Amino acid sequence: MPVVILHPNLLRKMTGVETTDEKLKEDLFNLGLEFDGEDEDGNFQLEFAPDRLDRLSTEGIARSLRYYYGQDRGVFIPPLNPPTWTIFLRHPILHKRPYVTGAIARGIKLDDSILKSLIQLQEKLHDTIGRGRAKGSIGIHDLSMIKTTETSDGMSSISYRGTVPSEPSFVPLGLKEELTPEQVLESHPTGKKYTKLVDGDQQFPAFFDDLGLFSLPPIINSARTEVTIDSRDLLIEMTGTDQWTIDRMLNIICYALEAHGATLEEINIQTPDGTVRKPDFSIDTKNIDHARIEQVLGTRFSPNDVIDLLERSGLDGKAIVPPYRGEISPQESQYRVAIPPYRVDVLHPLDIIDDIGRTYGFHKLKPRYPAVATIGGRTANSSLERAIRQVLIGSGFEDLLNFNLTNKTENFSKMKLKGGIEAYGYHDPVEILEPYSAEYTIIRTWVLPSLLMVLENNTHRAYPQNLIEIGFTAKLDPTKDTGVGENHAIAATITHSQASYEESKSKLQVLCQRFNKRLETLPISHPTFIEGRTASIVIDGEPKGILGEIHPEVLSLHGIELPVSAFELSLNSFI
Amino acid sequence: MTIKLPQNQKIVFETISLTEEKTFDQISEETNLKSEYISGASFALEEQGLISITTHPISEFSLTDEGSHYLQHSLPELRLYEAVRLLGELGTKFDLPQAIDKSSLDKNEVSVALSNYARKDYGTINQGKIVSSREFDIQSDPEQVALTSINQGTEIDQSVIARLESRGLININQLTKRSVILTKKGASERKKGVQISKSITSLTPQMLSQGNWEHLEYTTYNVEAEAAPHIGGRVHILRETAEKVKDTLVSMGFQEMEGPHADSEFWINDCLFMPQDHPARTHWDQFALSVPPAQNLPPDLVKKVQSAHLNGVGTDGDGYHSPWSEDVALGVDLRGHTTSLSMRYLSGQAIGHLEPPQRFFSVEKVYRNDTLDPTHLLEFFQIEGWVMAENLSVRDLMGTFTEFYRQFGITNLKFKPHYNPYTEPSFELFGEHPRTGKLIEIGNSGIFRDEVLRPLGVTCDVMAWGLALERLLMLMYGFEDIRDVHGTLCDLQLLRSTEVSY
Repeated sequence: MPVVILHPNLLRKMTGVETTDEKLKEDLFNLGLEFDGEDEDGNFQLEFAPDRLDRLSTEGIARSLRYYYGQDRGVFIPPLNPPTWTIFLRHPILHKRPYVTGAIARGIKLDDSILKSLIQLQEKLHDTIGRGRAKGSIGIHDLSMIKTTETSDGMSSISYRGTVPSEPSFVPLGLKEELTPEQVLESHPTGKKYTKLVDGDQQFPAFFDDLGLFSLPPIINSARTEVTIDSRDLLIEMTGTDQWTIDRMLNIICYALEAHGATLEEINIQTPDGTVRKPDFSIDTKNIDHARIEQVLGTRFSPNDVIDLLERSGLDGKAIVPPYRGEISPQESQYRVAIPPYRVDVLHPLDIIDDIGRTYGFHKLKPRYPAVATIGGRTANSSLERAIRQVLIGSGFEDLLNFNLTNKTENFSKMKLKGGIEAYGYHDPVEILEPYSAEYTIIRTWVLPSLLMVLENNTHRAYPQNLIEIGFTAKLDPTKDTGVGENHAIAATITHSQASYEESKSKLQVLCQRFNKRLETLPISHPTFIEGRTASIVIDGEPKGILGEIHPEVLSLHGIELPVSAFELSLNSFI
Repeated sequence: MTIKLPQNQKIVFETISLTEEKTFDQISEETNLKSEYISGASFALEEQGLISITTHPISEFSLTDEGSHYLQHSLPELRLYEAVRLLGELGTKFDLPQAIDKSSLDKNEVSVALSNYARKDYGTINQGKIVSSREFDIQSDPEQVALTSINQGTEIDQSVIARLESRGLININQLTKRSVILTKKGASERKKGVQISKSITSLTPQMLSQGNWEHLEYTTYNVEAEAAPHIGGRVHILRETAEKVKDTLVSMGFQEMEGPHADSEFWINDCLFMPQDHPARTHWDQFALSVPPAQNLPPDLVKKVQSAHLNGVGTDGDGYHSPWSEDVALGVDLRGHTTSLSMRYLSGQAIGHLEPPQRFFSVEKVYRNDTLDPTHLLEFFQIEGWVMAENLSVRDLMGTFTEFYRQFGITNLKFKPHYNPYTEPSFELFGEHPRTGKLIEIGNSGIFRDEVLRPLGVTCDVMAWGLALERLLMLMYGFEDIRDVHGTLCDLQLLRSTEVSY
């Protein structure tokens, strides 16, 4: 889960509530933010589930706490001044990153901790809703460093357009020398990190003012417009592949800046299709039924309770069924709920019921066992597997549980299996496309290799080691919908100084007898086993598995110094 | 009158010497009787005052893993000494890091080497400098020699034993050996001759068929003696826990589900209302497989799921602002959760249309492409359960899980509000550890969203939860490294010695 870092003192300052660290942690837990330690500067590290992206920063968490403490109620919309800046979308239009949005924030008072908090918010938004900057990326600039000529109506403008990778040169953030866009990708650390987002493109997206390029989204800003603690007026620009997404990211940023005393100002976005104003602080509404709230939370509420809970959640609610005989009949009530523009998580009325539940306190609800009668039972396969396991354990086997993932060396080479031979266990394996570890690259095609690995890792433990595993195997099978043939197999190994073919066969005989299956063991060759001591297991006339004494070369590849006899057969032999 | 002794006692009695103490083993060798008979007979003879038994405490030494390591690679201080000597003359000051580097000691070995170097008077270590001050053959170091002796079972220099034990290089096992010698009474009785009493060592089928067992006496055994070890069969402890979970859920009215391990992303993710650009849907989190796209997805269902993603569900529902394509849905992965099975069952595709009420569960393998560590495996068992009924509330969810966890000794459940893309409300479950009393996370739960249920054709409520079986096992047994139990690195001794749970 993502982690957000915040300073408890800045948080207290912003909520205006003096609390002990312990109380603060408890309040944060109730908001769904779990304390996960402190860094050396005394900052809290908080784990959070990535739904409330407005709580990715101290500012957003402070707002939620103010609602929680009852200092704020209802939806808050910050005032917006009319635009004095325009962003022109100019040719060439960028098809890969066509959407843009922005805002101006004036008169902000920054210090180190506020600046850090804003940078974190930007990073976390990039990582979550921005999908690693691919879907949405943010640039914040010192407005006073952006140079344009005012037009007669007092408007200033910048442009967003494509530029070729080889020009122009600009000084990217964190450096002193000028680089072209393609040089940034090659040599700047941030450039290298995000290369894949623009790599190979003929046109790179960029913002320009009269002095040239000042932002190369989604990669980096220019050093010229860098925000410092002395910056007062800020330009926020965002670009991406989805308008709604970048508009919401912008709203979250604007609310955070407003919380530090900034006055927000709209920006005109002028495209060939016309002009729109951003940010978009329009309020979304959803209708919810009183009955559904009571049903989901399992509790009775009065309409006033519901409206109170909505307001304490930072929402607004209005009953929209008129009073019946002068009173609202709660069961028939509906509420029109207003949702503030920084929320990205409310897709459905149920999400509002969750808010009501959180504000009411889920911990106040009393568990009850649902009065619903059903009949329990196991699947036939699961019952069969258990019955087989019980018979084998009665024969003295130790049951094991290994991984279904393995690699070709263990599954084939160390068992002396190779291509061109038809042998039990040799199938085209299902492979993992991008494995983390060379040890786990395929799904095993048979179970015996896993038992041999256990023997290999337990040579220091007491013998006999008579092991079984009833486990999953898979192979490529184009006749299946998924292209994967799935199977379960029963494997057994007997290991001690006298281990023999006969002992394995006698255990197999008992198993077949218990399930009334006719067992034949016909001579066969198999590279894993000693020639002349290997048999094909035939159950009721169908070949189902392999039985024999393991070849000494296989034992030596596993570092096993005692003879091993073994069998493996398909679980479906017993159906 | 001559004394009468059972056969074994007579044999032992006649083997014991008046002048020389003999151990049980020696007597066993001379008489060809098993040692448990020797001890039984000897104690009986001692009781009659015919022999006397002396006990000798003896120590048996064995190397610890660390000791074995040093047996092979030499003690760290010796390797350090050797490294210093390789650097140059006796008495010359060398940089300590240089010497350490030369010695190829690992971090732990370095501290062992430093603390023993000066103690053994090989030289001095001062202010980052190391000096060797005497010439000697490292093969003759008494501690090193003792390690070899212990390994070979030869004579051991007793003066270093305490040191080796305090260094944790050897284990000392205290045993008792008994030896016997004839008493004067025994000697004089033996002179008079010994008769065999009618007592017998084993009951034979013949005795039973002839009915003469009535007149027999039985030789006494040392019933307190330890019997020979036996490795019995047993169910794997994780399987045992899985079976207990299954039994518990069946008793609560849940039916078991089954289904494919390799499945389309459609069933694994899309049905669960996971946006296709969700960070958890990258190859870094799930195992994509080397097979062509899945076939035969139900086209109606695909359309409805797509619409839920793009437009939401219900008059006031919104969709995601994320792209959705059927190609992504057709990719085949190893399932990251068994909720894919729940989706197949709820859709009616698994066993036909389901009418409420229903309860279903599975305890099956799931796969996560992640790094392995003591508490995280690439594959583990997920306990998945759901209840389908009209008008379910979060209180029903809380009640069901409270009952389930109570069966495993986990009480005082706490429900922390949480976020999942597929449930709302959602809760992380916390419970009190059955032994430590600490609050620990034990699962994830919630009520399936309308965006999940409506496309599947379910019009009532479904609440669901999941948790890792391994987590339950670790809580119940206090294991710290799950790899000791699950997988090919398992320790047979641990599996054998863990207490049975039921």
